[in-house]
Amino acid sequence: MRASILKQSKFLIASVQGSMTDADLVQLREDLGAGVRRHRSTGVIVDVAMLDVMDSFAVRTLRGIAQMVKLLGAECIVVGIQPDVAFSMVQLGLTLEGTTTALDLEDGLSTLRERIGAEGNPL
Amino acid sequence: MNPRGSSPSGEISEQELVRRKDFLEFGDADVSNLAEINELAQRYADAVIEDFYKHLLSFEETRSYFHDPHVLQRVKNAQQEYFLRLTQGKYDLAYVEDRLSIGAIHERIDLPMKSYLGMYNFYLRAVSNRLSEAYQDQPERGRVTFLSLMKLTFLDIGLAIDTYINSRERTIREQQEAIQELPTPVLPFREGMLLVPIIGLIDTQRARLLTEQLLGAVRDNRAKVVVMDITGVQAIDSRVANHMVQTVEAARLMGAIVIVAGVSPEIAQTMVTLGIDLGRMTTVGDLQSGIERAEEILGYTVTRTRSKTSAGQ
Amino acid sequence: MTDAGDLVIPIKADVDVVTARQRARVLVSGLRFSTSEQTLIATAISEVARNIVTFAGSGEIVLRIVQRGPRQGLLVIARDQGPGIADIARAMEDGYSTSRSLGLGLPGSKRLMDEFELASELGKGTEVTMTKWER
Repeated sequence: MRASILKQSKFLIASVQGSMTDADLVQLREDLGAGVRRHRSTGVIVDVAMLDVMDSFAVRTLRGIAQMVKLLGAECIVVGIQPDVAFSMVQLGLTLEGTTTALDLEDGLSTLRERIGAEGNPL
Repeated sequence: MNPRGSSPSGEISEQELVRRKDFLEFGDADVSNLAEINELAQRYADAVIEDFYKHLLSFEETRSYFHDPHVLQRVKNAQQEYFLRLTQGKYDLAYVEDRLSIGAIHERIDLPMKSYLGMYNFYLRAVSNRLSEAYQDQPERGRVTFLSLMKLTFLDIGLAIDTYINSRERTIREQQEAIQELPTPVLPFREGMLLVPIIGLIDTQRARLLTEQLLGAVRDNRAKVVVMDITGVQAIDSRVANHMVQTVEAARLMGAIVIVAGVSPEIAQTMVTLGIDLGRMTTVGDLQSGIERAEEILGYTVTRTRSKTSAGQ
Repeated sequence: MTDAGDLVIPIKADVDVVTARQRARVLVSGLRFSTSEQTLIATAISEVARNIVTFAGSGEIVLRIVQRGPRQGLLVIARDQGPGIADIARAMEDGYSTSRSLGLGLPGSKRLMDEFELASELGKGTEVTMTKWER
């Protein structure tokens, strides 16, 4: 099952589905890269609220997505990490160091707007 | 298979009973020795029981457990049955079940173990005297029979102690569960802010629970800042410190910043010694600073509109 | 060694990793584990199952409910006939960051569970046994 990517003016919002396979996650990375380039997006939100487990592969891929988005000149915010998942991640020593996080889509968007401006045009 | 129910026989299986008998060297010879004195036991049962309770009631400490005449009668009857069972010849799991129930009865009235053991002691001595009398013409048989009785009594004492221990452990477990259920206060302070006062000793279990509750509260209250107040914490060790770091990191993954407030000089020193990456954690010396810092982050400005002296007017 | 009541999940591809942890969640739903602990278990299983796919190509995850006195627990065996781990000590090094380890996620999985054992022979395969007990 592929992730859905929505465009909201200059922002892209990707929602990761709970049953995504490794291949799907890798595909998501490619799709986001293409999307940022095509739409000249200035911000990307990756919503992982549907993930019930974040293991080392998922974290590595997510980190990769954030790094790639930043290299393409956009801000990246990961949102929706659930309490249990956050807890397991730190137990496992998996950090999303260097990646901005927010509670959910709403907070993610307001953070992006703070940094980039309401319409997504850089301040 | 160990049943999960609360039957008194708990973990005494057939094999365990055999193991215990073997260890006490209680075998068929002992069983027949005891069967031999069964008639004798029936004859002096009443007298021994009466002496036994007279002894108990003559001491203030043990008397207090039996001042209720109903309790006294019930225990006396149970004791009589107990006494007679010692020599009835069948020492199987049913016997064990029976012994454990008696232990439970005494444990329930809170009789201390020392008194319980003292009772067994009186018992063995009273019986020894009567045995000597009955076997005065065959002192060796009398001695051997007494030893059989002693072995069996020790089997019983072992079971009685098990009952006490099981019951204590069950109480401890229940108390621990009750402690687990105590809510750790996570207080919504301002919109987007949570205050978590931590008091006293934190063990790994509590720390874990606290982190879970904190993270849940971040989600439920959409908190952006958490002020964790450790003013009430005396000292921390590496495990607690690790937990704090984990909590801070986990909260960050949920988009919230944790400010650790109330860090004493001692704790600060400990953190430095433990090599905690302070770059990842915001710490302040007292609660007020913590709250002010949180307000700053959230964009609050707090102004006083009235001076102190006007409060009483 | 597999018992009659075991749940065996063959692992051949990354979709099986998801299956393994979902089946585990269902299996432990009858036990006294908090949702947090269930996530820890699912995560640990995900890690070891993933290792099987990455390093051995195929293997299996065995799930078994075990008992110790009044408590029940989940026993997980992750086994494969892959190349084996050359340096077990290094694999279990707790660098607290997967980027520094061999990427096996083993020290992390150990931290998530209560009991953890690793057996591996070069050229023969690897077997990870881990257990989580009710509190």
